[in-house]
Amino acid sequence: MAALMRASREARSKLRPLSSISRRIATYHDPDPLASGKDRSFCSQSRHNCREGVVDLSQYPPERIRNFSIIAHVDHGKSTLADRLLELTGTIKRGHGQPQYLDKLQEAAMTPKSISFSLKLVLLCICTEVERERGITVKAQTATMFHRHTVGGTNSSDKQDSPSFLLNLIDTPGHVDFSYEVSRSLAACQGALLVVDAAQGVQAQTVANFHLAFESNLTIIPVINKIDQPTADPERVKSQLKSLFDLDPEDALLTSAKTGKGLDQVLPAVIERIPSPDGKRDSPLRMLLLDSYYDEYKGVICHVAVVDGALRKGDKIGSAATSQTYEVLDVGIMHPELTSTGVLFTGQVGYVVSGFKPAKHMVFSGLYPADGSDFDALNHAIERLTCNDASVSVMKETSTALGMGFRCGFLGLLHMDVFHQRLEQEYGARVISTIPTVPYIFEYADGSKIQVQNPAALASNPGKRVAACWEPSVIATIIIPSEYVGPIITLCSERRGEQLEYSFIDSQRALMKYRLPLREIIVDFYNELKSITSGYATFDYEDSEYQKSDLVKLDVLLNGQPVDAMATIVHNLKAQRVGRELVDKLKKLIDRQMFDITIQAAIGSKVVARETLSAMRKNVLAKCYGGDVTRKKKLLEKQKEGKKRMKRIGSVDIPQEAFHELFKIS
Amino acid sequence: MLRYATPLLFSCRIPPSIKTLAPLPSPSFLPIPDPKRPPPVCRYSSSTCNYVHLPFCRRRCHYCDFPILALGSSAANAAAGDDDDDDPRIANYVRLLLREIEATPKPGSGDEPPLQTVFFGGGTPSLVPPRLAAAVLGALRARFGVAARAEVSMEMDPGTFDGGRLREFVELVGVNRVSLGVQAFQEELLRACGRAHGAAEVREAIGIVRRCEGLENWSMDLISSLPHQTAEMWAESLRCAVDARPTHVSVYDLQVEKGTKFGQLYTPGEFPLPTESQSANFYKMASEMLTAAGYSHYEISSYCMEGYECKHNLTYWQNKPFYGFGLGSASYINGARFSRPRRIKEYAEWVQKLEEGAVNHETSNVEVKDLAMDAVMLSLRTARGLDLQSFRRSFGEGLAFSLCKAFRPFVENGLVVAMDEERGTIPPRDFIKLQISSDDELEDISSDDELEDRVAFIRLSDPDGFLLSNELISIAFGVISP
Repeated sequence: MAALMRASREARSKLRPLSSISRRIATYHDPDPLASGKDRSFCSQSRHNCREGVVDLSQYPPERIRNFSIIAHVDHGKSTLADRLLELTGTIKRGHGQPQYLDKLQEAAMTPKSISFSLKLVLLCICTEVERERGITVKAQTATMFHRHTVGGTNSSDKQDSPSFLLNLIDTPGHVDFSYEVSRSLAACQGALLVVDAAQGVQAQTVANFHLAFESNLTIIPVINKIDQPTADPERVKSQLKSLFDLDPEDALLTSAKTGKGLDQVLPAVIERIPSPDGKRDSPLRMLLLDSYYDEYKGVICHVAVVDGALRKGDKIGSAATSQTYEVLDVGIMHPELTSTGVLFTGQVGYVVSGFKPAKHMVFSGLYPADGSDFDALNHAIERLTCNDASVSVMKETSTALGMGFRCGFLGLLHMDVFHQRLEQEYGARVISTIPTVPYIFEYADGSKIQVQNPAALASNPGKRVAACWEPSVIATIIIPSEYVGPIITLCSERRGEQLEYSFIDSQRALMKYRLPLREIIVDFYNELKSITSGYATFDYEDSEYQKSDLVKLDVLLNGQPVDAMATIVHNLKAQRVGRELVDKLKKLIDRQMFDITIQAAIGSKVVARETLSAMRKNVLAKCYGGDVTRKKKLLEKQKEGKKRMKRIGSVDIPQEAFHELFKIS
Repeated sequence: MLRYATPLLFSCRIPPSIKTLAPLPSPSFLPIPDPKRPPPVCRYSSSTCNYVHLPFCRRRCHYCDFPILALGSSAANAAAGDDDDDDPRIANYVRLLLREIEATPKPGSGDEPPLQTVFFGGGTPSLVPPRLAAAVLGALRARFGVAARAEVSMEMDPGTFDGGRLREFVELVGVNRVSLGVQAFQEELLRACGRAHGAAEVREAIGIVRRCEGLENWSMDLISSLPHQTAEMWAESLRCAVDARPTHVSVYDLQVEKGTKFGQLYTPGEFPLPTESQSANFYKMASEMLTAAGYSHYEISSYCMEGYECKHNLTYWQNKPFYGFGLGSASYINGARFSRPRRIKEYAEWVQKLEEGAVNHETSNVEVKDLAMDAVMLSLRTARGLDLQSFRRSFGEGLAFSLCKAFRPFVENGLVVAMDEERGTIPPRDFIKLQISSDDELEDISSDDELEDRVAFIRLSDPDGFLLSNELISIAFGVISP
């Protein structure tokens, strides 16, 4: 098992293009690059014109292409740096208020930036609500830039005669849950700018991202940013880079994306230090899919990096994984808006209008329409959304409590939250999601083994002995100011963690590594960590192997009837406590009804916690005011509407919030 | 626990007049496709029932959110309230009222039956000088006619009248039923709810009413669940009520309304208000003690001696039309429910418009489901319950069946009682059996017809079903209008 998981991890971080077979079909489209180059030779004169006309990509052989990304801990200035580079190359206009173009401004909502508020609002509309609320980059964005540079030359004087380079800035999402997407983006790059805040120094995500980039054999250019801050200490950061990553302090660029200081060194360093892509121009097409999303008007749009060969409009391409074929309806570059070029050559990055790597799902949850009749609407919303986020697995399932719905697999809990929120905000779907769970493995005495993605699917009384069970674990890296070490050790041991490493990275900060059951961190671990350390902790984790564990299924019963959607799998030693918490919480959340309700938590037939919610005694309007029927009727109709928002299980009405609130118990 | 299993007491006490619902009318103002299913309310059905709002009070009680006009305590010294008799505010209001009556169109051709009930509600109608009240009744008589044996009720508060004034109301105005606003027999409770009278005035008023010749029909209002009220106090009030031998008792459970003084001070179920369970217990005490004293619990908050139901209120519960006159009053004419403005200035403007013919009397399109909800909501307040046969005819077998199905668990736990045509209780087991067979879950031991034949009425049990009437009625609403 462990070996298998490691194998898939390695596969992810290697450059492993999703090879696509090009079966070109003769078309009316003249593929002669020289001819179209002549017609539009003016294009290379002015970048401005380039955007209006068609860019002649044949002028950019792999030697003149650099593909790179910027990796950083959240808030270390990645987005601002990206914006400055886009401005420097004229891709976006300086002062036109398109800061943080790549992130589409999700961070601007959190950090004050010197742009006008109204423009912020305009841009805010573009970014997803999730990103804006959380201030994180979830979906990777990519842009193509053109920059004149003479290798080895002293820039400015001979700029006009310098050869033009095509630079693809491939953005990566910042949060750990999305390391899957980071790997994809990095696979298309040959180098990366490792941005570190000059004051804060190396943080957890810096370490995680560095390792991802390093494993992908990328050339790393360290950029120490925000040197304008009064507390900036570039020398300390340099020594961290040396000690943690063995990066030569001489190589580090010192910049301030805010003031512009040092920015002129960035692109020359990209061109001179990062190797060009090494694809074969004459081979059949192979390309790497970076990202895909759904556009209301154009359909599915894929961001791709051409590894070998060329991709032209009208080509039929096939997915190596699924063998499905698609026709290329449109192809072009992100400059930064979609700019059609009709062709993409070896080493280039752009978009294709036409959906494709199986992700490893670590968190599962059932999604049900809040109102049973909305199933079709939810189905439709999920279909659309998974087109944009193919990393979610979706399977239909049926719950006796909640009706028809879906079992969805996510990369992590944040990913789940994001998906859930996007369903509600972008598609207007009202959703009840069940207690998130991780994939467990149960082995019975008769040798049969099952993987459990839905606790309800695990028989409460299987009739055969459970021989062993396993649960997924993670290796967590936690960096905290040293005064919080005690409480964090307590937290981790409560969460059944096993300490692997404990060291100090400098005089004030400790680094701890723990092996933790994934189940223990999916719900509220990060929040707890942040609240214990007043927000100073940084946290990252990577998947690790399955561990043997003593697990039991905990059922919740209302009036003796198990509520499948509330079942959960917990460690035997925690079952009593979790059961108690579930029962207490439900007692508070369920309103009194016209009969007594017994609320129980049970393992098999053993009840571990029990409460009774006594029947409502009175709900009467004693007076029917002077015949004013209308008023009374309104009141009763309101009461009826209240009942409608409940989920009925057996004869018990449960408010929808109850399902949401139960999540918070781990 | 056995209490709600006790067989119902009402079969013998329902007077013939309310045993049958109003005959189903036929004219077609409702777009009902099924010609066999006539609408339950007739556009031209005339009202024989009339409410008049007389909004004057000494001061506003702390629980009250009615449209009232507080006159101030000028007459606190005089039990007879003579000082108020010259109050121009009262005279002006009555003039407005007369104008409204005058300007209200008579429905139909003019040979409608005269009014059978007139109800002077308030406010404190007993603060209005008898001659002015007589003027109002005169106007009604002139406009609509008043039947010779019509029920003419008036709400009166202790401390606002003496024997002479009551006699004037009876003789001059024609009041033949008094509704006395006692509310409590404890000085401290009366004070706590801001009543303008004390316990002594209560006893005095009861004496005056009982001694009054030609007035045998009178009702006493009591409020349960007042702040600081204990079970002992409530039992005392109920005993005093029984001792006074009124023909009718209304027991209201305190409603804490937004915008009232109580609304600002108290939260239901929290001290000093009784807990939900204490309050439920008060309701049960009333039901037990009054029933034991010979009163019939014929509606959620109403009890009466045999034959003394409030005819006026029955009109409401039977979903029949009624007129309404005066500030904030509600009417139900030609299938349209309408509430008049609650502020005097707006009411005056509205009367002006009415006179100018600028008030639209057209009935808005009433949906069938609204009629069904009205029928269920109102009838389930009464001991008679919902007449399923009539409901079936008006709204269809399917809806009646769904309603029974939704009530099944509550028939089982005794909150809802099913009855046959002779008003005999159908045992829950039988009811469920009938239900299930109709669901085709079992072999058809009995057919749909049998269910239809057997279940003639459903009602809420006393006291437990009544106590949860809001819940149960809103379940029925969910069936009618999902």
